[in-house]
Amino acid sequence: MFEAVARPFRSGRGGTLPMTVPAEAIVATGTLFDGRSARPNPVTIHLGERLEITGAGIREDWSLFDIRAGETEPPTMRIGVAGSPIRVEFTHQALAAALAARCPDLRVDDEKRGGVLRLVLWSIAAGVSVLLAAIYGVPVAAGILAPLVPQPVEMRFGLAVDGQIVSLLGDPPLCAEPAAKSVLDRLVARMTEGAGLPGDPVVSIRRHAVANALTLPDARVIVLSDILAKSKTPDEFAGILAHEFGHVAARDPTRAVITAGGVSFLLSLILGDLTGSTVIVGVGQAAISAGYSRDAERAADAYGVAMLARAGGDGAALAAVLERIDSDADTEASPTGFLRSHPYTRDRAVKIRDLAGEKPQGRQVLSEDDWQTLQGICAAEPAKPATDRNQRP
Amino acid sequence: MNAVGAVPARPGTVVFDRQAKGLTGIAVKGFLLSLATFGIYRFWYITNLRRYFWSRTIVAGSPGEYTGRGKELFLGFLVALAILVPIYIVLFALGFAYPPLAPVAGPITFVFLFLLGQYAIFRGRRYRASRTFWRGIRLGQDGSALAYVGLATGWWLLTLVTLGIAFPWMRASLERYRINHTLVGESRMTSTARGGMILKPWLLFYLVALGPLFASILALLVANDFSIPADLMIADPGKPGKFVFNPDYAGTPLAIYGGVVAIVAAIFIPLALFLIPYYRARETRAFMNAAALGTACLHSTLKARQFYWPYIVYMLSILGYLAAIGIVLGGSAYLIQTSGLGTGAQALLVVGMVVAYLGSLLLFAVLYVRVITVRLWRAVTDTTTIENVQALDAVLASSRRTASGLNEGLADALDVGGALEIGF
Repeated sequence: MFEAVARPFRSGRGGTLPMTVPAEAIVATGTLFDGRSARPNPVTIHLGERLEITGAGIREDWSLFDIRAGETEPPTMRIGVAGSPIRVEFTHQALAAALAARCPDLRVDDEKRGGVLRLVLWSIAAGVSVLLAAIYGVPVAAGILAPLVPQPVEMRFGLAVDGQIVSLLGDPPLCAEPAAKSVLDRLVARMTEGAGLPGDPVVSIRRHAVANALTLPDARVIVLSDILAKSKTPDEFAGILAHEFGHVAARDPTRAVITAGGVSFLLSLILGDLTGSTVIVGVGQAAISAGYSRDAERAADAYGVAMLARAGGDGAALAAVLERIDSDADTEASPTGFLRSHPYTRDRAVKIRDLAGEKPQGRQVLSEDDWQTLQGICAAEPAKPATDRNQRP
Repeated sequence: MNAVGAVPARPGTVVFDRQAKGLTGIAVKGFLLSLATFGIYRFWYITNLRRYFWSRTIVAGSPGEYTGRGKELFLGFLVALAILVPIYIVLFALGFAYPPLAPVAGPITFVFLFLLGQYAIFRGRRYRASRTFWRGIRLGQDGSALAYVGLATGWWLLTLVTLGIAFPWMRASLERYRINHTLVGESRMTSTARGGMILKPWLLFYLVALGPLFASILALLVANDFSIPADLMIADPGKPGKFVFNPDYAGTPLAIYGGVVAIVAAIFIPLALFLIPYYRARETRAFMNAAALGTACLHSTLKARQFYWPYIVYMLSILGYLAAIGIVLGGSAYLIQTSGLGTGAQALLVVGMVVAYLGSLLLFAVLYVRVITVRLWRAVTDTTTIENVQALDAVLASSRRTASGLNEGLADALDVGGALEIGF
């Protein structure tokens, strides 16, 4: 009993214990709303050991422990009893102060459970788990989902992306000089034989002054002719092809699409309504996607080296051609490195040479004659200007 | 009435707190906690804001009361996610599986979200009404959200077909539906809003802002016999993937009128933005004057300039702040560059920029609530009076069930319906 009545002391107006020492009585006027109609009932409010409210046909007698106050702008005050629709409004400041001192549960929220801290901690835990799902869960899920995409669906998708990419590159003409094409087809067939790729790769060479090669869904590989021009040996060219086949084997294009969709969805889910979140979502998605992409590039490099060795070439040739075609081969680590879709060329080259080991003497994937023929594959096509330097093999 | 209580407001007036004390604290806490909780706290923040605004709005001597809970909104948001996530996934998968479908996936999503958004607007209003008390009487809303969606869709189609002429009638029709299904206790509100009431402000907006644009587009179409050549835009020879204007058409009526459209758009679209507060003020006043509860009716004397001041003050504060920040950051960047202090100072500058960015967002958020929300709210409340206020005494409580917060969560997930809507 004592503990219960001692609580009013907390509010500062100590010295009067409602049950033992008679408190100074306060009388004020107010308006009572009975919760049944909007009619205002003038009442007299008498605060003693209990709160007595009287008016025409009204007699309320409330225990000070049951009184709750609603949020209002001082000096207006609105009080009621927990769970009752009756409200009393008044603007008497002394009464308001006395109620604050004597009613221990005046500002208690009867429906409120759990504090803000709990909410904050749970939200942070939820946010972090979604973030972890975006960083680690989505690529795994994409890896599982990508092989499940039905062949016809992937084919249609590949066709559509092919069209978009080609028009994005400015419709570079397809190089198909017949003799060279047959050399290319034989090379591709030999390299992919027994490699267990998900489909037979379709390699097309297009005349373009950017040294780049792309893998699209449905095992479509587009090689831009400048790669061919910059390759000094057939092994270097085959190295690029083998790297792209590494992407085909891992179904990277389809995985990238699923990953990008999943990540941007999850990020906008947790950052949805925040001011300035568009920037954060954009950078976050780019960073996470680029992270996957760098991992995929390293895997494709390793795959390419192994494939090239199987086909009778020198894996290290891939490192040589990468260094040659990449203008920023000597770039130092920079603060925006986390946004790069490809690892630094220097690091890649070191890794590739490590994997390739000793150079096999006197072996090449193509004979010198075939190599000459292949280099002429775009002979019949006019040149296209160079502009797009954003993508690298 | 109120013969006894020393109530600050005269009977029949609607007033809002003069000083808005404690609001800054709510806004700062709301913003920072929303940031820390990945935005989840926003439901509690909105609830705090509403409780504040409701309780500081004194209608005929009695402050309003908001009894909604952040938890209800949050649960509603989770349910809305459970509905929306599969839909998003299906749309994504469709675009992926049938690439020809990808271009129409956008419009399909838009139409679908429009319908869902109208539904959420109506049901969100129902939730807010059922959490609002005045003099111990609970407000409410009946009517069918599906009917509202149908009404809104029909009117929007008509508005599009008539190039916007039907807009005022659409607004009035939807306002009537909303108000006529709003209940205070057992009493039903009524609205006599008609399109003709807001035809004048709309026509002004239309003629000044949209008229020249439509006229110039029409002139363009007439001059070209309503046909745009297919090779108007050709692939840029310099930039793959980009399209440029075909030089063959230079000097033709097509190019001249196209230039006219561009110039007209550059002048009149910003002008249209300037006229929006004017239109909104006029519409709010007309619709307030048309609303009644029994024989008690609202009377508004809202002036358009009262809707301009908040925006002007807000814009000027932001411009001043940005100028100051720009000088500070630019100055320190210059100092670092000239003194060659190296990476340590550069890192400091980056940290400073991040802090300045977050600080600016906080400042803008607080300023928005304090300047725009408060002033717009006060502009509406303080210009509103209730005629025949004694009739309100006859309002009786109702035993209606309270609406669930689920549908307002949908409104949040779709980002329709602000936390605090000005007017009804």
